[in-house]
Amino acid sequence: MPEDGVHDSQLLKGVLSLALMRLLADRESYGYELVTRLHDLGLTEVQDGSVYPALGRLERDGHVTSRLVASTSGAARKYYRLSTTGYAALAHIERAWQSLVRALEPILSKPVPAKPEEALP
Amino acid sequence: MNQEALTKQDRMRIELAVKKISWTLDGRVPRARKRQVLNELRSNLTEAAQHVGAEQAVHQLGDLKALSNSYLELYRSPFDLRAGAFWAFIAYAAIQLLGLALFFAFRAGAVAGGAHGASYSFEIWPGFGPFAGKVSQGGSTNTFEVLFGSPAHLLIVALAFAIGSTYRGLRARRRTQTSR
Repeated sequence: MPEDGVHDSQLLKGVLSLALMRLLADRESYGYELVTRLHDLGLTEVQDGSVYPALGRLERDGHVTSRLVASTSGAARKYYRLSTTGYAALAHIERAWQSLVRALEPILSKPVPAKPEEALP
Repeated sequence: MNQEALTKQDRMRIELAVKKISWTLDGRVPRARKRQVLNELRSNLTEAAQHVGAEQAVHQLGDLKALSNSYLELYRSPFDLRAGAFWAFIAYAAIQLLGLALFFAFRAGAVAGGAHGASYSFEIWPGFGPFAGKVSQGGSTNTFEVLFGSPAHLLIVALAFAIGSTYRGLRARRRTQTSR
């Protein structure tokens, strides 16, 4: 059972693209910078190795565009930014997410019973 | 921490991780795409290593095999050259084994037929067969020849390469389409 502050990796995997798109909507970033931004938000379980292919998928789907910027640390950094399609997709996914949260709220806000209720005849 | 802080060992650690990914992508992802992916990975790893150290930077990548497979799923080319080469080799080896079996069968037949002091030869497919056998029994000498470069031989190996290099890509694409 996850402890407080520890996030379920499967849940995180499902919303990783949404989180990345939302971060990129604020400003363009490169892979490792996005990882640190996620970690700064408390999502420390997110591994670098899941972020980089997720960015590739977003780029393949046309949600983000990229450009190479020379770096003093060696190889050029690949900066990603949200495309026009990406902004539209983000708005759509955010609405879907909010709708899902509203639908689950009545169930998840109730305290978990100690044991299942007896079925009534 | 800055660029100068990266030791040779750090750079080697990063390069080793990149090479592991590269090994999986070799022959399966178009070369230009592979170069882009590895350059980006190297850049991010270098950046991470400057903040948390090379060992931790590589550790933060998680399972390298899973990462390679994610890249493979994203950028797989229609042709898997490594799988093609593997199946071409298997076909080649199978033909050699078949040739060996035929040699033993032919020699046994020649001996059982009481042949001596003469030469016998055969072809499975006249003029086109991958095998041409010849037994000379001048007392103790037996020879057997296989035409390695015959058209049939090359055709079978080429077919194995073509099927082997495309089959997995087709199957992976079908699986991706089904799961969507």
